[in-house]
Amino acid sequence: MLELLPDPVLLVRAGGAHASEIAYANQAARELFRIELSGAPLGAALRQPQVLEAIEEALASDAAVEVAFETIGVQPRYWRAFVRPLDGGATQRDLVLMLRDETDARRTERMRADFLANASHELRTPLASLAGFVETLRTHAKDDPVARDRFLGIMAEQAGRMARLIDDLLSLSRIEMNEHIAPEGVVDFGQVAQDVVEAIRPLSRERGVAVTVRSWAGQLSVAGDRDQLVQVVQNLVENAVKYSAAGGAVTVELARVGALDEARAAVGRPRWVALSLLSPDVAAHQGYVTMRVSDHGSGLARQHLPRLSERFYRVGGQKSGGTGLGLAIVKHIVNRHRGGLVVESAEGEGATFTVYLPAA
Amino acid sequence: MAQTRPRGSYAAELRALVAEVIRMGGLAEAQVVDAVDAVVRRDVPLAQALIVRDLRLDAMQADIERRALALIAAHDPSDEDLRQAVSTLKLAMNLERCGDLARNIAKRSLVLSGSDPVLSLMGAIQRMGRLVAARLHEVLNAYAMQEMDAAMAVWRRDEEVDEHYESIFRELLTLMAERPDTVAPGAHLLFIAKNLERIGDHATNIAEVLHFQITGEALDQARPKVSLLDAPPPVAAAP
Repeated sequence: MLELLPDPVLLVRAGGAHASEIAYANQAARELFRIELSGAPLGAALRQPQVLEAIEEALASDAAVEVAFETIGVQPRYWRAFVRPLDGGATQRDLVLMLRDETDARRTERMRADFLANASHELRTPLASLAGFVETLRTHAKDDPVARDRFLGIMAEQAGRMARLIDDLLSLSRIEMNEHIAPEGVVDFGQVAQDVVEAIRPLSRERGVAVTVRSWAGQLSVAGDRDQLVQVVQNLVENAVKYSAAGGAVTVELARVGALDEARAAVGRPRWVALSLLSPDVAAHQGYVTMRVSDHGSGLARQHLPRLSERFYRVGGQKSGGTGLGLAIVKHIVNRHRGGLVVESAEGEGATFTVYLPAA
Repeated sequence: MAQTRPRGSYAAELRALVAEVIRMGGLAEAQVVDAVDAVVRRDVPLAQALIVRDLRLDAMQADIERRALALIAAHDPSDEDLRQAVSTLKLAMNLERCGDLARNIAKRSLVLSGSDPVLSLMGAIQRMGRLVAARLHEVLNAYAMQEMDAAMAVWRRDEEVDEHYESIFRELLTLMAERPDTVAPGAHLLFIAKNLERIGDHATNIAEVLHFQITGEALDQARPKVSLLDAPPPVAAAP
């Protein structure tokens, strides 16, 4: 019955001298910690000081104890542990530990605050610009139809920019809400790539950039949410097109590899620097589907690479008209899909973004 | 020197010692996470509590050292048994250093809290801090489960931390050059970023310790390292 509970449950055998061992872990716990827990030392899964203290307190007072803690990682999660000792002999004491995920509540709070901060900060400039033009149209340009047309055009642009910004911010918020819940469907990633490249043909044609898709394997299924994966491919390919000069080429290469190391391996060109923007937890016997989006545009200087997926981070002087959230969205979706993201670039030569996702 | 106690007792004592090292690891990780939070959130009580808690790390290291030496002296182990005991010493040392670095970060966060925040760097510091804490966490998981592959995965990715450090370093130099009023807090942030980079190095050290413990061989490859200091000097323009 414990096996079926949605919350992680551990049965801990407290040996003397703090050498506690995990006697049993239910499925939810095995999925959370992703290691073979039975027989493992407790510290392999839980060693937060407050958790260990709660266990000691529970044993000493022979009463249930609860404690809040955080799991460490690039994406921390917030938990509440309920510790309860079981009746036992003098030398061997058993405890039951149940964990409840409180990440949602904590993150919602933080996300609301972030969203408000981001929105107000980024909307200020286009809004000020709009207000400025309104003022000009009411005064200096009141009777100037040519100026009026031009200014109204710019105002429409600014309004469009603000709308896209809000869309992207809401998109990002929605993605973050579910980020810690792995997607359930199976998606043909090769098909997604083809569909997206087809869909952005108007843009690539307008820019005079040729986009080609090359697939090195037949079966490219991944565990995932189709709409979100479409967004990933779209953001990366659109970026590549926007940063390419007219007459340039963007290639999208798909492949299937057997191991994590292969998936995150850089192409390794001289003078090119590679940096992992996102690395998933290591999972045994997991194959990956990889997608490499390469352009031959102006490339990125080394110092910009670690900050690329930061919201609103723009490499100085670049004005692509984007919202500054494209890569942040890609990163959060890939994270939800338990995949990884690598960027490689050399200034003046171009950039390659590699996404790898667990194969289904 | 013949063993003076039955073999079973050595295994039990070693297990207790390893558990103590893992417990120390948990405290060290928490200190690193808290130190970064203290900087980013300007959390004075958190920083102060952290500084006090560092004494426990020092005490744990001294205790592990005493017990490991006593264990070795009493049982005269060899080969893997000896390496396992020595590993506890090395880990305790590395973890105590991580604690010192976290305490230093916390002290600097107290100074930073007294002046205007350098908002533009907080995102980068938090990201680097989380990355470093994650590396330390992963390598300690590897140690607890005696899993070399997991440890090697951490060892190979040391450069990621370095790239973050170099990026923050450059940005701070630019910022301080443009705005002299940021030099004082900027200097502290440089040290904080450097401390985080060194914590990352300790995580890589621990991976090397585990590798030696399991295989009996030191890693013969050079650790992947990235540094502006290693970049080729700029080519002088032709006259």
